Amino acid sequence: MNRIFWTIVAKELLAFIRSWQLVLVVLYSFTVNVYISGSGIEIKPRNVAVGYVDYTGGGISQKILSKLHAPEFLPPRRFVSQEALSRAIYDKEIIVGIVFGPDFEKNWRRGEKSSLNVLLDATAASQAYTTLSYLQNIVLELSRSGMSVDIASHKLFNPNADNHTFMALTELLSVTTMLCVILTAVVFVREKEQGTWDIMLLMPVDPKLIILAKSFSQVLIILSGVVISLGFIVLGVFSTPLNGSFWAFALLTFFYIWASAGIGLFIAAIARDVMQVAQLSILVMMPLIFLSGAWTPIYAMHPALQALSLFSPLRYYIEGTESIFYRGTEWIDLWPYFLGVILVGGLMYWIGFRKIGRLF
Amino acid sequence: MEYLSVENVTVSYGIHVAIRDATFRADGGEIIGFIGADGSGKSSLMHAIAGVGNFSGSVRFNGIGYRSAKEAEPLKPLCAFMPQGIGLVLYEMLSVEEHLDFFADIRAIKPDSDFLAYRQRLLRMAGLDKFTARRAGDLTGGMMQKLSLICTLLHRPRLLILDEPTTGVDPLSRIELWEILDQIRREEGTIILVSTAYMQEAARMDRLLLFDAGEIIASGTATELLETVRPMCYLPTPGSGGVRTFDATYSLQPLDIPHAEPTLEALFFVNALKNNRLLPPVTLSGEEKIPFSDDVVMEARGLTKRFGDFVANDRIDLNLRRGEILGLLGANGAGKTTFIKMLLGLHPIDGGELFLLGKPVRNAHDRRTLKASIGYVSQHFALYGDMTVRENLLYFAAIRRIPSQEALEKTARYALELGFSEYLDEMPSQLPLGINQRFSLAAALLHDPHVLFLDEPTSGVDAIARAQFWQLLIALKEKWKIAILITTHYMSEAEYCDRIVLLRDGAKVADDTLERFYAAHPDAETFEDIFLEYYR
Repeated sequence: MNRIFWTIVAKELLAFIRSWQLVLVVLYSFTVNVYISGSGIEIKPRNVAVGYVDYTGGGISQKILSKLHAPEFLPPRRFVSQEALSRAIYDKEIIVGIVFGPDFEKNWRRGEKSSLNVLLDATAASQAYTTLSYLQNIVLELSRSGMSVDIASHKLFNPNADNHTFMALTELLSVTTMLCVILTAVVFVREKEQGTWDIMLLMPVDPKLIILAKSFSQVLIILSGVVISLGFIVLGVFSTPLNGSFWAFALLTFFYIWASAGIGLFIAAIARDVMQVAQLSILVMMPLIFLSGAWTPIYAMHPALQALSLFSPLRYYIEGTESIFYRGTEWIDLWPYFLGVILVGGLMYWIGFRKIGRLF
Repeated sequence: MEYLSVENVTVSYGIHVAIRDATFRADGGEIIGFIGADGSGKSSLMHAIAGVGNFSGSVRFNGIGYRSAKEAEPLKPLCAFMPQGIGLVLYEMLSVEEHLDFFADIRAIKPDSDFLAYRQRLLRMAGLDKFTARRAGDLTGGMMQKLSLICTLLHRPRLLILDEPTTGVDPLSRIELWEILDQIRREEGTIILVSTAYMQEAARMDRLLLFDAGEIIASGTATELLETVRPMCYLPTPGSGGVRTFDATYSLQPLDIPHAEPTLEALFFVNALKNNRLLPPVTLSGEEKIPFSDDVVMEARGLTKRFGDFVANDRIDLNLRRGEILGLLGANGAGKTTFIKMLLGLHPIDGGELFLLGKPVRNAHDRRTLKASIGYVSQHFALYGDMTVRENLLYFAAIRRIPSQEALEKTARYALELGFSEYLDEMPSQLPLGINQRFSLAAALLHDPHVLFLDEPTSGVDAIARAQFWQLLIALKEKWKIAILITTHYMSEAEYCDRIVLLRDGAKVADDTLERFYAAHPDAETFEDIFLEYYR
């Protein structure tokens, strides 16, 4: 019993290591891919091209412009007329245009209401809007209108408000899901492709044991991938704070991987070749990731989707992981996430297990 | 007079040369057969002549000369090409009639009365005139091939190129395909190039080209070719030296035994001898098996399988005895695969009973016992491609709960006796097919099974590999007294079986020893004739 289980596990691991292309894909996904998602997505403005038209003759306007500096902004370019500025925005040379009207400085000095016209290329929406809030801050600072409220902000859990770590971590979780589904499915479907499926069915071994051993081998592979990614990229490159217990995360991941493996089994039961595995995986994965809150916070979803998100094990996994990393939640308080992952994930594995078991 | 002349055609893919300096000529109304092992360059030359790939050298057809795919454009209306594989040019969701309309439309054929009459004639020749509304996906393999053929004939091509059109097709459909070709060649004077793995078919062609390792090594009529190997063919005589197969001994050195009438298979053996490409011999040691009280190893009584209303297997009885090779034969869709799956315990049984060594197989536990006492060799001898031969064998031994020490000894012994010791640490994909056959047999025999199941082990395998495989099976039967059940498409292989069971439409129509089949049909020359008696 035990010997057969470990024989199958060892055989699958050997087969994995022998196919170097697959090893490369897995290593790439867990390292370079996570690194790119962490460092590549930039919501803060950077190198924003600013243009302006100044009908005031300088003074306050120059003072404001001097606050727009590198690395967030390129040196502001002057345009002679609003038409020229509009054209430049239309031609994508300028993302933010500022028009200082003739009355701007006059009204400012008088202490009256003065207005500043800002033209934004809203196709780069987040960059444009963050730039806008920069400008508002600059103006606010300059006017010092005697407002007595000063905002003293305290950033919790992620003191640098750094979204690299968050993006890298979310990507790691998505990659884990994706690879686990695909690898588990491929392990079975490859037997169909190679023509060894019948041989596997004819082994005088309890099919449950074969399914369990094969899934377990892939769980091991993914788990090592997660550890590598965590060590080198998430904790290494991005210095993500790990406030909670590493072992809590490892255990949660272990349970979660079984859930993904269940989806893989389900797909393996339907797919005829590796190509179909890829297609089906994407079909199944997208809603799963959408509903997990990885891309949109769950509280911002439509109520119907919010209810559906309860069925995505990735939701509990992501929330649990965030709690462990950023909030440093204690073991005892992690139970809702463990419960969610184990219940929903267990159900998924059971469904996949039954589905492929019927083929034996 | 129409002609096709091929001069010094070389096709290469990167550094790999698929066919080198092929030269031959064909005249109108001639059928030229391409024979040779897999990968010997037949398909590549066909692609070049059909003008679908680039090549060097030149091809000339009725004054149209071309050296590349681009120059072959004017040839397209005159030529038809059917690639290898059943139903490859068909669309599953289209009916027979829609196929004919579609192929007529893309060839821009005017639907005048002349064409309609020709079309009707083709349909009748193919026996498809009653099935015009049926979807291609619902046709049998044989019907699909006939449909593919008449679709390629719609524009009355002058040059017809068919790449293994009959591989995997049942004997009846094969004969019908040949009748169509023969009629077309006579009535239309078309030049036809056909490749085939069936030597009986090859013998009927006007001229043969023998391919080997990317070269045409011989050409001529079948009789001319046979004469060239006559001196090397002897009657099968044990212990005489040379290479012995079931029906002949081949040797390049003169032997002191009587000569035999050569067959086309001899061409392959003599060529392999000349190139020193034959596999090491098999030397099975006689083995003392645990004696059974009864010689019947497996017994099926009235086995029935239904899929909904459709009865796939109807009350089939079967006995399988020790030391006997039983051939299970039938056309495509006769229920062979379903029957085998029930015997293997892969399909639940809907009616009847199955006995293994006298004990009934009823529940999941019995089925596992059943699985533990059968050896199974999959189609194409597929084993795990990412493990070496040794690792594969040890893996199967571990799954079969064979103690490690015993597994190591067995692996070494089988490798020695089946002659693949030197390949133990190589990957299966790098080995010749003959070696893969041997070691997948070894894998199936590690646990000393009572029965060995082989489901079409020789389809798509060349003549030498097939002959060698049968030698191996016969040795296993004689030395180790294993019961062997085999299904096959090749009627010529029925001659190697001890007993033959014929299935038709899910029912058993005949079950007898080979001798008695021949006794009951005295005018039959080969088993194919007998087979057709039951199917006509």
